Amino acid sequence: MPGPGLISDYLTELSAQLPALVVEELADGLDQTRQYYLDLGLDQAAATAAALAEFGPPPVIVAAFTRISPARRTARTLLAAGPVVGACWATALLTGRAWAWPVPLAGRVVFGLVLIGVIGLLATAAFGSKYRSVGRAGIAGCIGISAIDAAMLITVTLDVPAVIGPMALAVTASAVRLIFTARALRPVLTG
Amino acid sequence: MRAEELKGHLDALLLAALEGGPRHGYAVIEALRQTSGGRLDMATGTIYPALRRLEDAGLVTGSWSVVAGRRRRDYRLTPAGARALAAKRADWRDFTATISAALEGTPCPDLA
Repeated sequence: MPGPGLISDYLTELSAQLPALVVEELADGLDQTRQYYLDLGLDQAAATAAALAEFGPPPVIVAAFTRISPARRTARTLLAAGPVVGACWATALLTGRAWAWPVPLAGRVVFGLVLIGVIGLLATAAFGSKYRSVGRAGIAGCIGISAIDAAMLITVTLDVPAVIGPMALAVTASAVRLIFTARALRPVLTG
Repeated sequence: MRAEELKGHLDALLLAALEGGPRHGYAVIEALRQTSGGRLDMATGTIYPALRRLEDAGLVTGSWSVVAGRRRRDYRLTPAGARALAAKRADWRDFTATISAALEGTPCPDLA
């Protein structure tokens, strides 16, 4: 029977990108759509073809789910907030003469590379078209940005005697972002 | 009506289809098919992400049930969804009255 085989292939293509629960819901809808055409009098093959045509190509469905994925939403929020938090830290580090802090050069280089990598991951999550890669990049970006904020907060706690003025603002900005990212990570992980 | 002509109205259509009570994804599509006399031509597969988006926005809630051994997700309008639907209906009446008046060269009726 060619009909169910085509549906199975269609669902397999969706399963490669979308979460199992989403595919389960789509499978139920596809089955009912096929039944609708069978009830209209079409044979198995024609009903299957009509149902698949009505559902639309898998890439279109995957793209529609990718646009609403929690990873994409969170990544876009973090990218939008990034310049604000970055400006807070730039002001705090310049006014706090951060170049005199006892942080080794290797540590500064690693920090810079991690920051660039995290921005790349968040950009992939924010603008990618593949649901799974958007999800993976979003998770890695969230963890990376949290590690950066945590590293900055720990460094300030250990090396800065008085957290006042621009430094207090930067610490608050990172703390707020850390809390936001922690709360957003759960739907990103389950999405 | 083609899918691109329905852009911007899909949320209102889905909320309206759920106004009468909870429905699963395909029942929403069937309801739209029936109320439009089959004139709404939408890629069925894109209805499901739209329902998830409405769920994320708090306008509908989704819950799973089991029907004939298969898990099925039902959607229900929330109070916020009902308010959003009422607002979209009012906007639509305003929009159609204004455009109709402009197209027919008649004064726009006072909708207030």
